[in-house]
Amino acid sequence: MPTTLLERYFPVVLQAILAFAIGTLLIGASAILGKRVRNAVKNTAYECGMTPYGTAKERFSVKFYLVAMLFILFDIEAIFLYPWAVVFRDLKMFAFFEMLVFVILILAGFFYIYKKGALDWTAEELKPVQHKIHVDLMPADPVPSEKVTHAA
Amino acid sequence: MNMGDHLLSWILFTPLLGMVVVLAVPSSNKYLVRWVANLAALASFLVSLQLVLRFDTHAAGFQFVERASWIASLGVNYSIGVDGISYLLVILTTALTLLSVLASWSEVEERLPAYYAMLLLLETGILGVFLSLDFFLFYVFWEAVLVPMYFLIGIWGGERRLYAALKFFLYTMTGSVLMLIGILILYFAHANQFGVRTFEIADLMRVQLPIAAERTVFWLLFLGFAVKVPMFPFHTWLPDAHTEAPTAGSVMLAGVLLKMGTYGFLRISLPLLPNASQDWGIVCILAVLSLIAILYGALVSLMQKDWKKLVAYSSVSHMGFITLGIFSLNVKGLTGAVIQQINHGISTGLLFLLVGIIYERRHTREIAEFGGVAHRMPNYAVVFAIAMLSSAGLPLLNGFVGEFTILQGAFEVNPWWAALAVPGIVLGAAYLLWLYQRTMLGELTNEKNRQLLDLNLREWAVVLPLVAAAFWIGIYPKPLFEIVEKPVAQIMDRLHRTELHQKEVQP
Amino acid sequence: MPANFMPSAAEYFRFAPEIILTIVGTLVMILEAMTGDRDKSSLGYVSLLGLAAAMAAAVAANNDPGLAFQSMIIVDGFATFFRVLVLGVGMLTILVSTNYLSEAKANSGDFYALILFSVVGQSLMACANELIMIFIGIEISSIASYILAGYLRDDRRNNESALKYFLMGSFATAFLLYGVAWIYGLTGSTNLGEIRTVLSHGTAPTAMVGISAALMLVGLAFKVSAAPFQVWAPDVYQGSSAPISAFMSAGPKAAAFAVMVRVFYTSFDSISNQWEPVFWIMSLATMVIGNFAALQQRNIKRMLAYSSIAHAGYVMVAVTSHSAVGTAAVMFYLASYCLMNIGAFAVVTWMARDGEKFVEVDDFSGLAQKQPFVTAILTVLILSLVGVPLTGGFFGKFLVFKAAIDSHLMWLAILGLLNSAVAAYYYLRVLVVMYFREPGASTVNLPPVAGTLRVAMLVTTLGTIALGIFPGLILGFATQSSTLGK
Repeated sequence: MPTTLLERYFPVVLQAILAFAIGTLLIGASAILGKRVRNAVKNTAYECGMTPYGTAKERFSVKFYLVAMLFILFDIEAIFLYPWAVVFRDLKMFAFFEMLVFVILILAGFFYIYKKGALDWTAEELKPVQHKIHVDLMPADPVPSEKVTHAA
Repeated sequence: MNMGDHLLSWILFTPLLGMVVVLAVPSSNKYLVRWVANLAALASFLVSLQLVLRFDTHAAGFQFVERASWIASLGVNYSIGVDGISYLLVILTTALTLLSVLASWSEVEERLPAYYAMLLLLETGILGVFLSLDFFLFYVFWEAVLVPMYFLIGIWGGERRLYAALKFFLYTMTGSVLMLIGILILYFAHANQFGVRTFEIADLMRVQLPIAAERTVFWLLFLGFAVKVPMFPFHTWLPDAHTEAPTAGSVMLAGVLLKMGTYGFLRISLPLLPNASQDWGIVCILAVLSLIAILYGALVSLMQKDWKKLVAYSSVSHMGFITLGIFSLNVKGLTGAVIQQINHGISTGLLFLLVGIIYERRHTREIAEFGGVAHRMPNYAVVFAIAMLSSAGLPLLNGFVGEFTILQGAFEVNPWWAALAVPGIVLGAAYLLWLYQRTMLGELTNEKNRQLLDLNLREWAVVLPLVAAAFWIGIYPKPLFEIVEKPVAQIMDRLHRTELHQKEVQP
Repeated sequence: MPANFMPSAAEYFRFAPEIILTIVGTLVMILEAMTGDRDKSSLGYVSLLGLAAAMAAAVAANNDPGLAFQSMIIVDGFATFFRVLVLGVGMLTILVSTNYLSEAKANSGDFYALILFSVVGQSLMACANELIMIFIGIEISSIASYILAGYLRDDRRNNESALKYFLMGSFATAFLLYGVAWIYGLTGSTNLGEIRTVLSHGTAPTAMVGISAALMLVGLAFKVSAAPFQVWAPDVYQGSSAPISAFMSAGPKAAAFAVMVRVFYTSFDSISNQWEPVFWIMSLATMVIGNFAALQQRNIKRMLAYSSIAHAGYVMVAVTSHSAVGTAAVMFYLASYCLMNIGAFAVVTWMARDGEKFVEVDDFSGLAQKQPFVTAILTVLILSLVGVPLTGGFFGKFLVFKAAIDSHLMWLAILGLLNSAVAAYYYLRVLVVMYFREPGASTVNLPPVAGTLRVAMLVTTLGTIALGIFPGLILGFATQSSTLGK
């Protein structure tokens, strides 16, 4: 049984040193040993093998972000099913009902975004999400933003 | 109405009831509001008169004591009672409130219900301070007084009312939060020594503090009281507040509110902290501060161009006499101080009422604007003369009785104190007589003063009781001395006992 | 795997308030999605009912105090007190918001659902007995609050406020989580009681325990806006809608103080000599910064924000005193603070109008002549914030400084009380403006006070007065519960 702090954390320290050393080594080695070739094709951005065109600063629909965020949310929530799967045999019905509650909650969320139209891809002619909140709250005189910015 | 068992509660809360009624009256009917307010003030005065009938001058200790638990977990009680000192102040408060409400009849026009409500609330607050036997209750009322006074000055005051109201509030608030710490130290000391949590003043007297701690507590409480008195150098809020307040506000402020400070010394500092109070260093500092207040107040009064401000600064000087009397720590000094509290209430109250009467007619208080007023207002001039002489301490009027007794007391301790205080009286006579000369006597030079009308019936009703009281106390002060005798003896007894105790312990 | 893993009915019963709130919150969310474009005030009432039911459940749960779910949850008087408090804050917030939202044409069920979820988090913080639960509670409460701060999403101020709140808030929670990780590493437990036991053996390296306590303190100090982590509060309170500022200044703060007291009084009890001086300095700094910065403010929301920082400082004084008396003072103070602060913000909500056009102190000019009812309400609340006797604020301050003196923190008490005298200055300015100035452009065409708002104003004001006259109402309970069920 390691007693002192250093002894206990020695493996961690060792790993940190190793990781650092390997990283430095590999990057250093490739910098020193590697052959450098520059041409137009190599310097373009990588885009799935296609030839890139246009500017990268192009605007595109907010729907992409929305869907991406929703995907991440539901995806992460699904991860909880894995640890559950490991132990549900021990926990029996309790685990079943707990996971049922969890899934119902996720379904409620899904139902909500569905009804709100967040998944409606055919944008404009349908209702925008939470369109009621789209009121012009910007006052005609542009005072407020100055007010907010003078900080503490 | 049977008030037998709860007389003091009735006295305390009648103004509050009156306030509720005043607020309930439709505010559009100003006439009705005025009548209701006057009746409410009259009612609370009549209720307090029962005390006159039933108060036993010869009994020691507190009378009509009522006690009920208020906040059990903190040991806070609603406990009220009255002894000779507070008895006089209670009567003074109810009487002066009645007179100031009556005096406001034609002065105030705006937001009448709120105005009268504030005056009545102020009355309850002040009465609460004088009646409380529980230190916490005392503090609650002490702080509660701030609010109505703040509004009285701030809404119905003169031109610089905002500044005055704010200054008044902040000064007193700062003083009283420090006082709160002193209270808490005593509270915990009692809890530690006796295992009982209580704020009862009578119980807190048992606390034995090391002298250093006692001195600290003394100074903490001192700050609260001294701001209210006000003692030099905490007096600067007073002239502003007085000058800007409406007449009724000034009367209440000078007449009774300032007495809360001196009452605090008498009721709390001396009995609760007898060792610190008799500490020669502390006594000297306080005596010197009192003497400075006496002389400085008088000198500054001499220089005033504003009628009301002059009276205000004279209060600083007169309150200096009272604190000097208290810290003479002998029977004469204390008796004089208690009596002078009442006298100052009567004479300064009268002076402020008179200033208010003239201000209402002319809307100015510049002394230079007046002169020869006696030609147009002979009755007013007579009453003013009486008020002035009573304030200046002329024999046969009330002011003399108090000041003379205080000087006797001070002389016993240190002849120099008396010697230094006497010029205060002389200066007092000087500034008042000079004021009289500049305003009442001489030729009627200012055209605007030609239209002045003399006192009307209501104004007579306001000033006469105070004039009568001034004469009565001046000619036959014996009943007053009798009332004060017991409580003063009790304070002296308390001081002596600790002195003996100290002597036994020390050698 | 423990044999008795299946929780008993009693355990669910102890956790009923959170369960009820979650169900009602989800229900409100679904109803919102199903009901289309109508004005959703009715969902506000549903949420009110849900909160009331949860409050009843919280009170009922206190009849059978104890632990639940492997000691992750604790129900004692302390937890019940704060549960009821945050639930009450939620109810008042809904009452304050309904009319405001209708006027901004943003009255939707989302808002109420978010309030309910945020309250779930705070309620969980109140009864958490374990660091992970505390963290989850804080996160649930915060994430909902971040969204609420930017709820009117076309309002630039709302956006700025939400972004600031979110960035700083997540940073602070990261610190908290880092502290939790350290303490788990040091003691092998996240249960507050077990940590206390391990730490009292004194085997864990003191310096490292101190660091982990400090990291957690950073996170909590941020939530209660204690100096030096108070910078966000004025900007966020000013930028958010007034009802949300009311909510954020009350509920999350109270819950975070509950956590602070529980964690530091239970787990870090044995290293109190380390954290007490830190708390001493922090409480003083918080009071001073809050009060002196408030002196300068012209915007009433900003002023109330700084004042709420100052009030956090007073509560910190009570926490610093580290005693049962101090705990009771924290509880009482927060109850009265929530009442008066929400009340004051309710008045601001009513006054602001038209996308919050009138939020300067000067906009209250002459209100006394135009709207005596609201003036009277605000007067009482301001006097309570000043700490004038016969109001809840007075007893709060009294108890706080009493606790400080009881623990021999004489200088802290003196400096704190002087601070409260300074505070009188800026509070009184509001009264000055209301009573002593002539009505201006902002006080003509005043809207009527909507029914729900009126209820909120009356409840807060009467509550403040009731606490001032009969502090025994909750002081007795607070004193009994101040031992934290240890």
